[in-house]
Amino acid sequence: MYQYFIISPRLGTPGDQFIPEDGVNIDALLDGGLISTDTAKKSSKVKSEPKEQ
Amino acid sequence: MAISSTYLSNPALTINSVDLSDQCTSAVINYVSEQLENTTFSNTSRSFTSGLFSNSITVTLYQSYAASETEASIYSLVGTTTTITMSPTAAGLTTPSATAPKYTLTGAFLSAHTPINASLGELSTIDLTFSGGVLTKAVA
Repeated sequence: MYQYFIISPRLGTPGDQFIPEDGVNIDALLDGGLISTDTAKKSSKVKSEPKEQ
Repeated sequence: MAISSTYLSNPALTINSVDLSDQCTSAVINYVSEQLENTTFSNTSRSFTSGLFSNSITVTLYQSYAASETEASIYSLVGTTTTITMSPTAAGLTTPSATAPKYTLTGAFLSAHTPINASLGELSTIDLTFSGGVLTKAVA
């Protein structure tokens, strides 16, 4: 799931999450560089493989 | 007799959630119900009833190619639908009231844009018409 973050102050505070209202064209905002996307971060609790000794 | 009139001062406009108030010089909201004639032999005058609504918003914006400005906000909207909000006052967009209503046109289609519409030595402007969609008015 994508999250959107504000780049342009015309949309709000840059860096804040952008929650689109009904009917807003997300693709146009992305194309115009007004918001950015970021995939939802997965849990960092995934264990890494043990190192071989 | 008291006269109440309104002149537009410091209104607010968003197109696709982007606040373009400081680039806008004029705006017209057309709230239109198509009239369908339902006159019959029993009538002596023409009679009409409401058909589909055919709303639109026309705006004039100063053109700017800088980041986050007019061109970046508008270019990718051509051929798509979006939402436009407008209020006679800036505060009306966030806290609409009876004296500062907020109008929202949802699902409006932008068919044309003029990325370059300029004359030498003059500020470039663009005229946009967003057609169709559902118009709502919020007063609270």
